[in-house]
Amino acid sequence: MSISTPAGDSSRQTAPPAAKKATAGAGRPPAARGGTRGSGGSGGRPVNKGGKPGGGGRPRKPVTPVKVSQGRSWGPIALFTAVGVIAAAIIGYGVYAVTVGPQTWQEKAEGISGISDFRKTDPTLVDTRSHKSGSIQYAQLPPVAGDHNVSWQNCMGDVYDAQIANENAVHSLEHGAVWVTYRPDLPKDQVDTLASKIQGQEYTMMSPFPGLDKAISLQAWGYQLKVDNAGDSRIDEFIRALRVNASQEPGVGCSGGVTATGTTPRELQQQGQ
Amino acid sequence: MSTTYDAAVDDVSVEAPPPRRWRPLTVTAAAMAVALALVVAFGAGWFAHARNHPGEGSVEAGFARDMSSHHAQAVEMAMLALDKSQQPDLRLLAGEIAQAQQAQIGMMQTWLRSWGLQPTGHEPPMSWMTDGASLMQNGLMPGMASAADMTALRNATGGEFDRLFLRLMQQHHLGGIHMVDGVLAETSEPDVVWLAQSMAKNQRSELEFIQQIITKIGA
Repeated sequence: MSISTPAGDSSRQTAPPAAKKATAGAGRPPAARGGTRGSGGSGGRPVNKGGKPGGGGRPRKPVTPVKVSQGRSWGPIALFTAVGVIAAAIIGYGVYAVTVGPQTWQEKAEGISGISDFRKTDPTLVDTRSHKSGSIQYAQLPPVAGDHNVSWQNCMGDVYDAQIANENAVHSLEHGAVWVTYRPDLPKDQVDTLASKIQGQEYTMMSPFPGLDKAISLQAWGYQLKVDNAGDSRIDEFIRALRVNASQEPGVGCSGGVTATGTTPRELQQQGQ
Repeated sequence: MSTTYDAAVDDVSVEAPPPRRWRPLTVTAAAMAVALALVVAFGAGWFAHARNHPGEGSVEAGFARDMSSHHAQAVEMAMLALDKSQQPDLRLLAGEIAQAQQAQIGMMQTWLRSWGLQPTGHEPPMSWMTDGASLMQNGLMPGMASAADMTALRNATGGEFDRLFLRLMQQHHLGGIHMVDGVLAETSEPDVVWLAQSMAKNQRSELEFIQQIITKIGA
């Protein structure tokens, strides 16, 4: 049944209902056909009850104005309510799904405004992860992925007060670390704020990095986010979404790495001080 | 549909009924039904997801996250001991700690994954435990070694290393058992109860072992 004729006022007043169904009765005259809009309804009763069977004689008077029940038409109300309820249920679940529902960490990362996702823009770089000794040139600075030194930088929530080697740091990213870098001119209170997010939290580390175009830059394997100050809430979002999750080698830890600072990559035998 | 028309008799023209309006009651009822459905569906989504396992802010999730971090430091210290100590029994102890705790990190991380939760939570460490915040010292969970302790441990050698390691690991285990007692007081999640109980048992026996070595080497 169509819901396109929801018994609006005009149709009820002018269109005799029951045109179609009524004719299914006892061979009643088709006279009532004048109401061709009669999607009237099964409940409609034939209007020309008293008509002679087997019409075809003189045309009958039009039957137009019909008294309509004063009762409410519950049909459309129920239908619209049901549709509304179903729509609301879908919307309700949708709201759940996009707000508190389980989101993958990738979705959470994508939701951080300003994040650079090199897994999308440079998949080749993100799949490049060989061990190489010596100095390595990285396209992004600070680097976010790529070949790296065989030794990783210790990333047990280490707060380094001097620059560390990119080649060791990238290896830490491969293990799932988030590497927080800041421009050396960042005010001390902001450095302390950053350090409080890092200290003691394994799979994170932090170090100064000269020449950044923004005050703070965060790196995880294949991701980067640059922000202007340590109070930016996206820092926590970045860490929550990507710490551990961004790992290329799930289960591999952050300890046992290089704890010394300096930009020269530390090889196996030089891990200590 | 049951749009009902009263019988109308031939030739009888009846006054048209007054224009129909959606009556306030009907509109209100429908709106309430829609609003109810909205809330119920939202709740159903939440319920269906949270029903079978601990949620984001649960004691169990907090424990899994924090104990993973706590364990990670024990593994770091134990690996240093394997690398540096000359004491066979201390090296044996260190190997046991490193293997057990790294495996347990894997179990706890797997819980989080299977619960649909992230490895990193929104709350500060120890928030899940009753009075947990008061147990934090200098931003560290109970028994954790400070950055300075770790640097000292890396730099120490010989008997000095052994004594420092044993002292730090003793504190570490005592703090860890405190956290385990905290989760056991509040959870009935079978896997969590099982692992926490075994942690308490293992670490208590390792504490005895530590004490034996301390007595032996005269730390």
